Amino acid sequence: MSMFEYGEGKQVEVDEDGFIQDPSVWDEELAKALAKIEGVDEMTEEHWKVANYLRNYYLEYGIAPMIRKLCKETGFSLKKIYELYPSGPAKGGCKVAGLPKPTGCV
Amino acid sequence: MKTRKITSEEREKAFKQPRKPEVIEKQKLDVRYHIEDFEVEDRPRRFLEAFAAILKHTNYRLALDHYIRMSAKCSRCATNCQVYQATGDLRDIPCYRSELLLSVYRRHFTLGGMLKGRALGTGHLTDEKIQEMADSFWDCTACRRCAMECPSGIDHGLITHLGRFILSEIGIAPRALVVSTREQLEGATGNTSAIPVPALVDTLEFLEEDMFEEKSVEIKFPMDVEGADYVFFPAVSDFLMEAETLMGIAAVFTATGDSWTTGTGYFDGINYGLFYSDRMLERVVKKVDAETRRLKGKNILIGECGHASRSAKYFIPTYCGGDDAYPVINIMEYTHRVWKEGRLKLDPNVVTEKVAYHDPCNIARQRWIIEKPRELLKAFCKNYVEMTPYGDENICCGGGGGTVSIDEIRPYRTTIGGKLKADQIRKSGCEILVAPCANCKKQLRELVEDQGIDCEVVGLHDLIYKAIIFDESMVEKKEEESVNIEDKE
Repeated sequence: MSMFEYGEGKQVEVDEDGFIQDPSVWDEELAKALAKIEGVDEMTEEHWKVANYLRNYYLEYGIAPMIRKLCKETGFSLKKIYELYPSGPAKGGCKVAGLPKPTGCV
Repeated sequence: MKTRKITSEEREKAFKQPRKPEVIEKQKLDVRYHIEDFEVEDRPRRFLEAFAAILKHTNYRLALDHYIRMSAKCSRCATNCQVYQATGDLRDIPCYRSELLLSVYRRHFTLGGMLKGRALGTGHLTDEKIQEMADSFWDCTACRRCAMECPSGIDHGLITHLGRFILSEIGIAPRALVVSTREQLEGATGNTSAIPVPALVDTLEFLEEDMFEEKSVEIKFPMDVEGADYVFFPAVSDFLMEAETLMGIAAVFTATGDSWTTGTGYFDGINYGLFYSDRMLERVVKKVDAETRRLKGKNILIGECGHASRSAKYFIPTYCGGDDAYPVINIMEYTHRVWKEGRLKLDPNVVTEKVAYHDPCNIARQRWIIEKPRELLKAFCKNYVEMTPYGDENICCGGGGGTVSIDEIRPYRTTIGGKLKADQIRKSGCEILVAPCANCKKQLRELVEDQGIDCEVVGLHDLIYKAIIFDESMVEKKEEESVNIEDKE
């Protein structure tokens, strides 16, 4: 485990891949800082739409939504989501939204 | 098939160390995959103890005794190894890799080896040898093409498998696999992708709605149906990643009317035990068997996944009742059969792109399912092309043996492991690559992305979903409306 530093002297615990360990510490400032390491310099409204959907689904169901559902509910094509989050919805998207790292063949 | 060797820049990229130096120092192990902390002291002794225990409780000894006598180290296997073809590193020749473990067996577990070793005071197991094994065994994709070339009949894949098993018993195994398997066996959700049942139900209901919108047919995912003919176990990640594959499978069952079900007690076909531990392999297949028993099902149906199919097909009989065990079939066998029986109709005018089929090693190497998916594809894809070699001699996607789940070695997988496959895909010029395996799909998508190949990777049932024709009696009243929409397009 290592610490991820952001904002003014704030720290959170992250795993080797940079996913936060405790989903409850997530806030917008942290999301913006995590986005930078995933190649997203600025969190636009579209970025937030994806991140918020992922986050809300996770809070309700305890897992990320199916990719097809993410696309349908946000109205973005998969290509568009890859444009927003270059490392993909499962890695970049989930990391910014404060979800744990997906496991298994994902 | 040959490929050019990687350049020095590619080598640098492929072997980039993703772990922090302090972790490597702390774990006293310089490998490129993450490992959970383990006991670092006295490793050789613990390795030998684990090896001895495994030999006592399994029948690996038979194979090893044969292999140490027969291994001629002639290196013919080198011609078939796609990792060696790409790196040109002599340490990647399969029989070199096997010798790492065979030498330990010879020295410590055979009378001649023990006497010779003691007399000369040489050859004992050291930390350095363990380091080399921990590195080497996870550079292999366990595709087992080498076994086909070996004149002595040595299955190097089996030796790599055993080596990984012993290492995992002393705590050395990729964390990605260990964490997923722990969730599957001991976690709250009981599956490798940690999907809770309410999320599964939500996902399947969402797909049912989507399918009704698209096809105007009530296509269902029956859940917890007792006494169903087929109890369905896909790679559980399909519920997150592969909507179209699942929809295609549900569509086929709707067209035939056969009974099938997904069990909410256990719904994961994935078995990483096949990649690193026989103990885990046994525990996972027993979960599949128990769920089928709970639902009083008749057959175990594995979805589009190579290793899930192989682990169930060949190890359910081993661990769950021998000749009395549940029959295991792969979904492609089912779909092919009902198509042959004339119960599945496919429209030959829907898929017009150039399509190629990739054989998952775990299904094709032992010549289990090779021609069936091809017959299906050729029946409705006008423009089918073949990649050679194929079938039992197929080229691995480069992410086999569990390596695809280790995200930190992606550069290795897409520059070395999958290099030969990338050459093959490029040469075929296919626009759609069909890979009926969750492992292969993930690896091939990363491969075409990293190698800059313009090609879409899908499952077999993704295309069947597109082309399936339902009996008119099944299509709901909304028919007119949907026909109009199609006309406009």
